[in-house]
Amino acid sequence: MLIFSVFKTLTDQQVTVELKNDLSITGILKSVDQFLNIRLDNIKVSDEARHPHMMAVKNCFIRGSVVRYVQISAENVDTQLLEDATRREALNQNVYLDAEYKLESREWRLPSGIG
Amino acid sequence: MDPSSGIQEPFDLIRLSLSERVFVKLRGDRELTGILHAYDGHMNLILSDVEETIMIVDVEGAPDGRGTVNVAKRKMEMLFVRGDGVILVSPPSRT
Amino acid sequence: MSSLQGYVDRRVLLILQDGRAIVGTMAGYDQKSNVVLSDTKERVYSMDEGVEEIPLGLYLVKGDMVVLIGELDDAIDQATDLSTIHAEPIPPIRY
Repeated sequence: MLIFSVFKTLTDQQVTVELKNDLSITGILKSVDQFLNIRLDNIKVSDEARHPHMMAVKNCFIRGSVVRYVQISAENVDTQLLEDATRREALNQNVYLDAEYKLESREWRLPSGIG
Repeated sequence: MDPSSGIQEPFDLIRLSLSERVFVKLRGDRELTGILHAYDGHMNLILSDVEETIMIVDVEGAPDGRGTVNVAKRKMEMLFVRGDGVILVSPPSRT
Repeated sequence: MSSLQGYVDRRVLLILQDGRAIVGTMAGYDQKSNVVLSDTKERVYSMDEGVEEIPLGLYLVKGDMVVLIGELDDAIDQATDLSTIHAEPIPPIRY
């Protein structure tokens, strides 16, 4: 969910998506969904001479599962914000796991502050 | 049992590496070092100031069958790494 | 959500996990990126010959097999003489 949110903040910015088949595609990030499927506009394939397959393609949908990397421009990312959000999500994850554990051991109580 | 401190589970090791330089080993004979800014439960990562090392094993043209290893390196300023390729994340070495 | 919105009834290029390239008209899709293409043709790339087109008819492709779906610019695509294009096939997906 965190990473999904990060990608949403990157919409309309230029990114380079590197796939697990070594294809590298640069374009404007138009949208992303919860599977991290990506829509790119105005695309350009790196080393087009070797990869003429997508000459007539101007925009595309990339399945999240085949992505290896997404290169982002550093100026578009607030790293402090990212780290805080990551810690917050890790904490929530732990509260949740803790509740599950107590449920298994029949001692489950709502974490304080909930309900 | 304060969940915000100490190490209770493997992911805590990664959490404590936030904003530090980490080493990441990936499938496909790839390694990264970079400063860790975000991760999630799939081990999706966001790193900055990244150096990638790719080991390219050339098996052909090696009569003894051992082949040669070529190393390619490149740098990227900010990188999302999909978690399914991650083999390990190692915290900064404290030397 | 639904990132395949807008591709229905358009001519698209579909790249599969095994590296095959298929063109067709997007008839429909679902949340798992399963897609139905009509009037499909596989484009077989090789270095020795121009691109060969093999008609396949109506295809349902499972979402797991999908790498990429691109909207074809018909003007550019039709202006391209496939017989003059020599290229390596797209590599299959591996890490």
